[in-house]
Amino acid sequence: MEEYVGELWHKLVTRVADKQHSEAAVSLDEISKTAAIFFRALGGDPGLNLSAAPATRHGARRRWKERLATSGERVELSWRDGETLRLPERISIFSERSLNRDLYFWLVALSAVETNNNLPWIQQNQQATLATLARFPGLVPRYHRLVAALLPLRVNPENLPTAEAAQEFAIRQALMQPGSVKTLPPSKTPFYPVALWTHPNPPASAINHISAGDGAPERDSSEDANIAKSRRKHAAERTDMPDGKDGFLMMFRAESLFSWTEYINVNRPQDEEDDIESAALAAEDMDSMTVARDGETSVAKLRFDLDLPPAGEDETPLGEGISLPEWDYKKQVMQVDYCRLQEMVSAQTVPCELPAQLRRTARRLRSQFQALAPTRIWLKGQQDGEEIDLDAWVRQEADLLSGVHADSRGLYRAQVNQQRDLACLLLADLSLSTDTYASDHARVIDVIRDSLFLFSEALTATGDQFAMYGFSSLKRGNIRFNLLKSFEEKYDNQTRGRIKAIKPGYYTRMGAAIRYASTLLAVQPQCQRLLLLLTDGKPNDLDRYEGRYGIEDTRMALHEARQQGLRPFCVTIDNEANEYLPHLFGASGFAVIRKPEDLPKELPLLYAQMTH
Amino acid sequence: MQNLPFYQVQGSEIELFERAWRNRLPLLIKGPTGCGKTRFVAHMATKLDLPLHTVACHDDLTAADLVGRHLIVDGQTVWTDGPLTRAVREGGICYLDEVVEARKDTTVVLHPLADDRRILPIDRTGELLVAPPSFMLVVSYNPGYQNFLKGMKPSTRQRFISLAFDFPPAAQEEAILVGESGIDAMTAKRLVSIANAFRTLRDHDLEEVASTRLLVYAASLIKDGCDPTLACRAALVETLTDDPETAVALREVIDATFGR
Repeated sequence: MEEYVGELWHKLVTRVADKQHSEAAVSLDEISKTAAIFFRALGGDPGLNLSAAPATRHGARRRWKERLATSGERVELSWRDGETLRLPERISIFSERSLNRDLYFWLVALSAVETNNNLPWIQQNQQATLATLARFPGLVPRYHRLVAALLPLRVNPENLPTAEAAQEFAIRQALMQPGSVKTLPPSKTPFYPVALWTHPNPPASAINHISAGDGAPERDSSEDANIAKSRRKHAAERTDMPDGKDGFLMMFRAESLFSWTEYINVNRPQDEEDDIESAALAAEDMDSMTVARDGETSVAKLRFDLDLPPAGEDETPLGEGISLPEWDYKKQVMQVDYCRLQEMVSAQTVPCELPAQLRRTARRLRSQFQALAPTRIWLKGQQDGEEIDLDAWVRQEADLLSGVHADSRGLYRAQVNQQRDLACLLLADLSLSTDTYASDHARVIDVIRDSLFLFSEALTATGDQFAMYGFSSLKRGNIRFNLLKSFEEKYDNQTRGRIKAIKPGYYTRMGAAIRYASTLLAVQPQCQRLLLLLTDGKPNDLDRYEGRYGIEDTRMALHEARQQGLRPFCVTIDNEANEYLPHLFGASGFAVIRKPEDLPKELPLLYAQMTH
Repeated sequence: MQNLPFYQVQGSEIELFERAWRNRLPLLIKGPTGCGKTRFVAHMATKLDLPLHTVACHDDLTAADLVGRHLIVDGQTVWTDGPLTRAVREGGICYLDEVVEARKDTTVVLHPLADDRRILPIDRTGELLVAPPSFMLVVSYNPGYQNFLKGMKPSTRQRFISLAFDFPPAAQEEAILVGESGIDAMTAKRLVSIANAFRTLRDHDLEEVASTRLLVYAASLIKDGCDPTLACRAALVETLTDDPETAVALREVIDATFGR
């Protein structure tokens, strides 16, 4: 009963205190794609991700209703760092929807200009405003509309103590006449956040290179995806994982919520029980989460295949291993011989036939793809050719007899070879994430396996040269490149056996795999060479190969491939691929398959579209 | 030299064209669509007072379309020159636009003309034409949008000297807009700023970016009294993308420039 009443009171009082206009809210999801393009068009860094900003505590004076409801103490503001452009998850501060939407685009425009980071916050924002308005004069009326709507929503300075009032006056002045305020008067209480400007002191995103516990993969689990529905990110700080030797258990739970936030250097590998709901609730209330990269998420399903890949256990290394470079975008240097790639072939291959459930589809695909195979065809109405086109001749004579002016159509039939001078290398991502379930009865790896089978069947029918490889990696020294079918080999029961034997590996060091695949493809004599990448997620690995570093290295590897005259194309089942693939492959260089189970039949069709 | 087509000089292309012509070298012009390749050739032909024969290449273009063919007139066969043969006979410029679109076997007829032999054998008539000194072969192509299965054969490519075109710098492009459509400098500046914003989206969100030609279209609409926002939507946004979300973003850029 007590709890019920409490809940009612909470609902009531938050509604009373809430000055947001949820009926006019615009959410980031609605405009994220448009906003990202807008950002890039305005000259923003195309490598940045767009993401929801975590709400941060502003500490400013709140209205009594808000204090009563303990709401309104956090606010979402926008900022930009080396990897991400952060925007509020939802904007509902104005009663008009169009104004809320305008505010989003204003924040994007403001983030697209470069400003001097050494200036004080208030000057920096005024400068950014001036620069934006000067470059895009069409934004001037919009800016004034936003300022006019924003000022009445801010605390009236006349009701504030002197120091705070001076601060508020300065902010209002700076909003109305950007460039006119040099400094922000000091005050003990922080000022109320300015929705039109960037975050005064964005939570530092410590993307330092912190190595996880040796060889411990950071597991992504399907439960994660369910909780992470909300796009809001929590400010995260990273710390080193405690050593683990002298950990002790602290049976302690403080009354205050703060205890959730404080990072205590205790090694508790399995935190609490897997009560995801309560953890999610607690997370909602936290300002910042401390994340140690210990390679485990708090989920019951833990898998401990953390050892280094076994050498010679079920896979035979081929050759010595190949040294490959890697691109460091921060230093803008190519690190020579930075990665080591090992070509492998599955040792336990049992030659096999095409799986029975695929045979019908395979038969259909084969007959469809035979149409693409090079054939000799007769062209009618040619100006020259081996034989006379009798139809054309008769028509022309008839035209002449009837007095109609004969047009100059050809009178011959010519036989031509329709040549497909084409080689394709398919590179399949065999990382750990392919172990997740794609549908009720198939894992991603099963979908990939079926796709490889059907793809091979289709390509064999066209007669195009093709090769297939899989890859996964465990840090830079251990990139596994699985041979499924080389260009020289025929597609037979042996290669089918290898396809059947594919299994989830480790991580996705895409750059190195693409570089090596490019060298294999580049020596093919065909005129047109297609590098087809089949993946389910972003490039990532255990070391610093994640986020922007991985993306930029992959981008560089693709650039090199294009320079060698290859055409890269990516087929992915990652629903968030639109956020990073355009940067890597260009607007028309990739395809997202929304339903993974459709991949096996979509892949050959995509290939046909691409090459016909 | 009457009616010299308007052309805004970007660099040393005019000088290079003239040198190529004097030294009897064939020229390849590459650049994105609508950046002024065709206009440049027309300008140079008028400037050098040479007849210009332009062929827009397509994948059904045969060697006979270029060289010529026998036509049947009143029960008799009459040989008719194609544009290439005509240009060689007259000693003019033969300009093959978007040459990669033509079939590979078609471009092979260019080979003997494009090296130091400068001859055009016509096997149908048994004629062997030797190109006069004033004849010049110019081809162009757009490296961006070429079809995956079409490229230029290296053996063809290496017979030409190449000239790369790109969209002109902002100030020059503004001058082009003013010169072509007669709009005021301020509007021209805004149009070019929109185009440059769109051009940063190349290879990322847009396959093809706003060409100078499209800007001239937009400028002409505005000069005719059309609302600038509407003109830009019609001439730029809807021409460049079919994706609704991308279109919204592009419209936002236009609004950010012309105001709303």
